[in-house]
Amino acid sequence: MYRRLVLLIVFIVSIPGLLAASTLGDNVREHRLENGATLLLIERHTSPTVAAYISFRVGSVNETSEERGAAHLLEHMLFKGTKTLGTRNYAAEEPMLEQINALGAQIDRLKNQVASDPHELERLRAELTRLQKEHRQFVVTDEFSRIYAENGGIGYNAFTGKDQTTYLINLPANKLELWAAIESDRLQNAVFREFYTERDVVAEERRRSYESNPQGMLYETLLATAYKVHPYRDPVIGWESDIANLSPEKIRGFFSRYYTPVNMVITLVGEFESVAAIELVERYFGKLNPGVPVPPVSDREPQQRGERRVVIDFDCENSMMIAFHKPTMPQAEDYAFDILMQVLADGRTSRLYRELVVEQEVASSVDIFSAPGARYDNLMIIRLEPRSGHSTAEVEAALYRELERLQDEPFSEAEIAKARKQITMGQMRRLKSNSGLARTLSSFEVLGDWRYLLDYEEKLNMVNAQDIMKIAERYLTADNRTVAILSRGGEG
Amino acid sequence: MMRLVTFLLCLPLLLGGCTLPVVLSETTGPRPDELVFPPLEFRFPEVQKVQLDNGMRVYLYEDHELPLVSLSLMVEGGDINDPLEKTGLSELFATTMETGGTKSLSPENLENELEAKAINLSVSASTYAYELGLSLHRNDLERGLDIMTELVRSPRFAEDRFELARKQMVEGLLRMNDDPGSIAVRLLAEAVNPGHPFGTTPTVEQVKSISREDLFDLHQHYFQPANFYLAISGDITEADLMTLLDKEFSGWGGAEPLVRDYPALPDQQDGKILLAFKDIPQTTILMGHRGIDKDNPDLFALRLADFILGSGGLNSRLMREIRSNRGLAYSVYSYFRVGRQLPGSFIAGSETKSGSTVEVVRLMREMMQQIIAEPVSPAELELAKKSLINSFVFAFENSHSVVNRVMDHDFYGYPPDYMSTYRDKVAAVTVEDVQQAARKYLHPDKLQIVLVGDSRVYADEINSLGLPVEMVDLEQLR
Repeated sequence: MYRRLVLLIVFIVSIPGLLAASTLGDNVREHRLENGATLLLIERHTSPTVAAYISFRVGSVNETSEERGAAHLLEHMLFKGTKTLGTRNYAAEEPMLEQINALGAQIDRLKNQVASDPHELERLRAELTRLQKEHRQFVVTDEFSRIYAENGGIGYNAFTGKDQTTYLINLPANKLELWAAIESDRLQNAVFREFYTERDVVAEERRRSYESNPQGMLYETLLATAYKVHPYRDPVIGWESDIANLSPEKIRGFFSRYYTPVNMVITLVGEFESVAAIELVERYFGKLNPGVPVPPVSDREPQQRGERRVVIDFDCENSMMIAFHKPTMPQAEDYAFDILMQVLADGRTSRLYRELVVEQEVASSVDIFSAPGARYDNLMIIRLEPRSGHSTAEVEAALYRELERLQDEPFSEAEIAKARKQITMGQMRRLKSNSGLARTLSSFEVLGDWRYLLDYEEKLNMVNAQDIMKIAERYLTADNRTVAILSRGGEG
Repeated sequence: MMRLVTFLLCLPLLLGGCTLPVVLSETTGPRPDELVFPPLEFRFPEVQKVQLDNGMRVYLYEDHELPLVSLSLMVEGGDINDPLEKTGLSELFATTMETGGTKSLSPENLENELEAKAINLSVSASTYAYELGLSLHRNDLERGLDIMTELVRSPRFAEDRFELARKQMVEGLLRMNDDPGSIAVRLLAEAVNPGHPFGTTPTVEQVKSISREDLFDLHQHYFQPANFYLAISGDITEADLMTLLDKEFSGWGGAEPLVRDYPALPDQQDGKILLAFKDIPQTTILMGHRGIDKDNPDLFALRLADFILGSGGLNSRLMREIRSNRGLAYSVYSYFRVGRQLPGSFIAGSETKSGSTVEVVRLMREMMQQIIAEPVSPAELELAKKSLINSFVFAFENSHSVVNRVMDHDFYGYPPDYMSTYRDKVAAVTVEDVQQAARKYLHPDKLQIVLVGDSRVYADEINSLGLPVEMVDLEQLR
């Protein structure tokens, strides 16, 4: 949470094969609580540690336009304590919190009025600062963080994405009950203290990740151009004015609506006895009220009819991102995209690296990834940096020649086999750590079903050269693409 | 041909559990921090150490959970040895070695074979070493090790790949001013250690002046088995490893190990502020000065001072004041980067909107001053100690980091009992020790303070800090 990241760019869509096929299925123990919470367990007695993940089937796509940024700011607020932690005396603190919130709301109303009185605004802001200082006498700053640290916890963090949210910690194995106590307490008794200060922190986070960061700005602009309707278009962190107008009420509403057992997946990987762990989770989380499922997003992105192009003027060398709309998992075409992306731009023998970087020397780097989420149809994104002396237009032309080749010449069996092997090995490497395994499992369970992992390799094996030609023909077209260019002077 | 020594004995240890008394309240139950936990059972993993007749050291940690094997090879050398007029030599060497093929394999054939088997093989240069990494499926181990050994013995440095690597490195230099964070890192290094390899960034001209012969010379000089340290973890047995190493390395030897000799650091610089203009709404703040090396007797006291001041995440003073209390930054931190041979640096950094730049710089310096002037509270010290001691077990969570650390500590000459006494040494530090260490090694007046951002907003106000201010022209820095 010190590095509380917004799930920024890469969403991992491809998954473990070898371990999945042979042993993963046998090792996962699944348990459902009566209130609807899902518990996934993998006992692993290699080190006296446990990775504990709590994920929710909710993300920024579930926000309304009035509460953009709420999921992410809520994530920050959930580190601020409860009625017993983070406070010296909640009963005495509560009236003061109400006072601060009322004043904050008054300031927010006033600052948005066209003819607001600047002196009045300044007076109110000074008053808010005074109250915040006074409030500090009640606050035990970052107490969750202190307790976890004293008990040897590491990686205390959370991630908010477009369609999932995760709270995580790694603890010495004897401290699992500490996790259960803290996490179940914050789900029931969270207090959003220091709200307006934390909102400023998030504004700084936005400046850092997007407004002062050329690649962040390029990515954000690309999404807002490629999507017109679907909420994948909006940044998880929210736009600047979204953040500035979030209130404790909006955050509270979002929290109580969605962060409930029916939308929750708990994943534990490491050293414990499953029976005892189930008992522990039942004891602490079983009393939570079930809540209602997060409704699916009803917005449908209309089919794109024609290339979209956007240029950003930023003080940096040229670079570009080119996106194509594509289906998401577990549709059959998505498996074909996993192979296609691997062959196209992953590694030094990939087609684009060999052609654009090594042979033609028009680009200095090329990356490929799928984003910005995985629950709804998403994008295949290619990021390119032109070699100095070469224009973005040259690089684009070279790229499109390669993409056209995909429609004419089938991939060789060797290329496909290599891609499969790379994907499955990459996934197995990720499963080496407790944390990597917990993250993979919880993420797929939240997106649908962790068993997606089990037949993943088999599905991948079914993809043939014809399937790949078909998706190339269908999706990698000019009409379906969005081009975002970053350049000094905005000249493209 | 090999001597086998069990390096770390199996030491069952009990890490202290938190045993605070529980105050049960009838309505709410105990607070989470009043729970009682069972003791943690922990054993130091057993790493095997072998030395071959040719002087090469080998470390093995078996882990048969997944059919994977990882290897790391450290070779004496590193970019600290780059001549100043050829800054960037080691980086170019490493990239070309990785991509340039071997005696029997052209670059294309090498890449094709590695990627078809999904073998990751990497070469990099760090300050004091060249480092190779190999990660593969156990079925490919024999072939993978064959390839790695041939690369280490007879790299090809193919002409076209050398040219490509050189051009790519120039591209990196041309893009150096894109990101405020990387501008700040470079300016700070140059300000803290001017004229030393630690404080030198390659120029386009220098990179262009490096020749392929320079790479062959460098290889010849450092890549001798007497300078090799190899760590292996994963799904392999000791017997199989011995057979493989015998096959790969027998008959290659002869050279004496190199004697380490590093250029001395320049004198500590007087404090100053460097302003670099970039038209962005947030300033990257990065400051630093001379630090300590790993053999420093105050190492552990300083580690704790470090935690309390700025490396303890949300539990550090910098975070609490600048982020949690004032909302001025998302990230703010400080730490001593402890030098493995020569002294490293103290670094502190943050990012804040242009208008609060001077306020944040002032607060950061004040908090450094405060930890020098006033003793830390017993509770703060207790938190820092418990965190370091109780999280110690995570140093052994990953099998490759277990074996790598043993190798690394040998390579750099850490005391043999460094890990086994670590927790006791942390526990022994007192409030007085922390203050002494802070007083001795923190020098707010010597800080080199780099500010990258819209300096028009704070150029006047910055004079109030009472330090000399210099403008840096980023265009001149290519």
